[in-house]
Amino acid sequence: MKRNLRLGLLWSWFWMILGWLYFLLPLLATFLFSLRAKKDTLSFLAYERVFKDPNFWKTFAFSLEIGLITILAGLVLIVPTAYWIRLRLPRLRMITEFVSMLPFVVPAIVLVFGLIRVFSGAPFYLTNTYMGTNALLVAAYIVLALPYLYRAIDTGLAAIDVRALTEAAQSLGAGWPVILLRIILPNLRVAMISAAFLTLATVMGEFTIASFLVGIKAFGPYMSLVGQNKTYESSSLAIISFVLTWAFMGFIQLFSRGRAEAAPPGAH
Amino acid sequence: MAFLVLSHVSKAFGQTQAVKDFNLEVEKGEFISFLGPSGCGKTTTLRMIAGFEQPTEGQILLEGEDITFRPPHQRNVGMVFQSYALFPNMTVAQNIAFGLEVRKMDRAKIKERVHEVLSLIQLEDYGGRYPYQLSGGQQQRVALARALAIRPRLLLLDEPLSALDAKIRLELRQEIRRIQQALGITTIYVTHDQEEALSLSDRIVVMNQGQIEQIGTPFEIYNYPQSEFVASFVGQLNLLPVEVLDLSKNICRVAGQEIRFTPTTNSILKSGKVRLAIRPEEIRLGMVEGENLLRGEIASVIFLGSIIRLRVKLGEGILISVDQFNERHFQPPRPGEVVTLHFPIHACWLL
Repeated sequence: MKRNLRLGLLWSWFWMILGWLYFLLPLLATFLFSLRAKKDTLSFLAYERVFKDPNFWKTFAFSLEIGLITILAGLVLIVPTAYWIRLRLPRLRMITEFVSMLPFVVPAIVLVFGLIRVFSGAPFYLTNTYMGTNALLVAAYIVLALPYLYRAIDTGLAAIDVRALTEAAQSLGAGWPVILLRIILPNLRVAMISAAFLTLATVMGEFTIASFLVGIKAFGPYMSLVGQNKTYESSSLAIISFVLTWAFMGFIQLFSRGRAEAAPPGAH
Repeated sequence: MAFLVLSHVSKAFGQTQAVKDFNLEVEKGEFISFLGPSGCGKTTTLRMIAGFEQPTEGQILLEGEDITFRPPHQRNVGMVFQSYALFPNMTVAQNIAFGLEVRKMDRAKIKERVHEVLSLIQLEDYGGRYPYQLSGGQQQRVALARALAIRPRLLLLDEPLSALDAKIRLELRQEIRRIQQALGITTIYVTHDQEEALSLSDRIVVMNQGQIEQIGTPFEIYNYPQSEFVASFVGQLNLLPVEVLDLSKNICRVAGQEIRFTPTTNSILKSGKVRLAIRPEEIRLGMVEGENLLRGEIASVIFLGSIIRLRVKLGEGILISVDQFNERHFQPPRPGEVVTLHFPIHACWLL
C-alpha cells in the first residue's frame, strides 16, 4: 500500500518534470543562443543591439498605443453591452457568447482581407489615410480580442448580482450613469484588468493584420522581420516577448489576488 | 384617500398572467404582508410598486399621486432584497450614504444621518467594514438601514429573511417590526412564511395564482379563512370528507360518526364537494360531554418538540391530525391504540 503510494508519487513527479522540460528546454536553448552574439563568450550583445535599434522602440510604442486604444474602445463597447445583456436580455447571452467566439474560427487573414476590401473603396475610404488605417487596425483588434474581452467582463458580471445591485441603486435614487460609474465599474475592476492585459498581449504580438494594414510600423511585423534577417537578435526578441507576456500574466495574478485575499473565507 | 392604492393592477409576461386584477388600499403607517406560495405573483406586485415592473393594466397611487409608470429612481421608495444587494465595493457607511449622496445632500448631514441609522440597527461600530466582513444577518440589517436612510415614503421588503438561518431570522423579524413601529413607516413585506406574516403584519394579503384570496388581520386570516386555499396555506388544517345529514340543525357525518358544526352559508354547500375543516390544535384526547366526539385508531405519533402530532385513523383512508402540547409527564398514546377525541362545535366548519 505504502509502496504503491510512493510509486505513484514518483510517477507524478516524473511526468511533471517531463512537462517542465518540454516547455523550458526550447526556451533555455533560445536564451543561451541569444547570448552568443559575441564569438566564444556569453554576452547580452544581441539584447543591446535590439534595445539600441530605434525601430524597436518606435514599433513597440506604436503597438502599445494601438493596444491601449483597443482596450479603451473595446471596454467602452463591451462593458455596457455585456451589462445590458445580463440585466435585460439574458436570452441573448447564448448568441453573444457564440458571436464573441467567432474570431477564433475566422482566420485573421480572412478578416484583414475582408476589411481591406470593404474599407478601401466607396463609401468608406479608410485605408487611404493614416488615421483611417489606424482606426481600422483598432477595429480589427477589437474583433480579435473580443473573446477575451467579452469572456472576462461576462465572468466579472456573473460574480456580482447585477440585477439586485442595479435595482438597489435605482431604489436609492440613482440614474444609469451613476449606476454604471459607481456600482458596476468598480465591481468589475479585476475583470477589466484581466481583459486589458489579455488584449494588450494579443495586440503586441499580432502579425497578420498589422502587416497587411500598417506593415513594419507595428511590433509584430518588426519582430518577424528581425527574425528573418538577424540570427541572434531574433532569439533575444523571442525572449523579450516571452518576458513581456509573463509580466502581463503576473500583473493579472497580482491584481486579482489582491482582491481575493481581502475576503476572509466563509464570510458571507 | 388611502396612502397607497393599487387599483385593478394586472401584469402579464407574454402568455402568463402573473397578477390578475389586484386591488388594495394601504393606510399610512400600516404593515402589510403579501403571503403566498412561490409563483403566486406577490413579488411581481411588489416590483410594480417599486417600479421595476410596469403593470399591463391598472393604476398605482402613492399619496394620491399616480406613480404607475414613474421610473424607480424617482419614486422615493426604499427596498430591501432577499440577497441583501449591498454594494461590495463600498463600506457599510458608504452603502448607507449612497442614496443621500445621489440626492446631493450636505456632507455633514449625510454623516449625521448615517450615524443615526447605524444606531437604529445597533451597528454603530461597523461603519468602516465592508459587506463581506459581515454575517448575513448584519448585512441584511445594513440593507435595511440603507433603505431607511433616504427616508422613503414606503418601505418594501422582498423575502428579506429567507437567506438567513432560523435563529437570526427570528431576531431580525422582531427588529424589523420594532424599527417599523418606531418610525411609523408604511411597509409592504413579501414572504412565503406564514409565521412571519402572522407575527409581523397589521394586515395580510394572501395570494394564489396571481389573485388575492383574502385580505385581513392575522387573526381573521387564521381563524376565519374564506377559502380552502387560505385555510390550508395558513396553519395546519384537517379537511375531512363529510355527508351533510341535516343542514338546518348543522349536523353531518364523518366516517360514520355524527358531528355538529358551525352554521355555514349555503353558497359553500352549493359548490358541490363539501368537507369539514378543523385545526389540529383544537382537538384534544379524551371525552367531554356536550362536545363533538370522534373515535379512531392512532396511526402515528410525531414528536416536534413543543408539540406532539398524532395521526388518528377514523375510517378507511380518513386520517385526522391532532396537535397536543408537550408536557414532561405526558405519556403519548402508541400506534394501534384506540382513542376518543373531542373538540368544541364552534371549532369546526364546512368548507
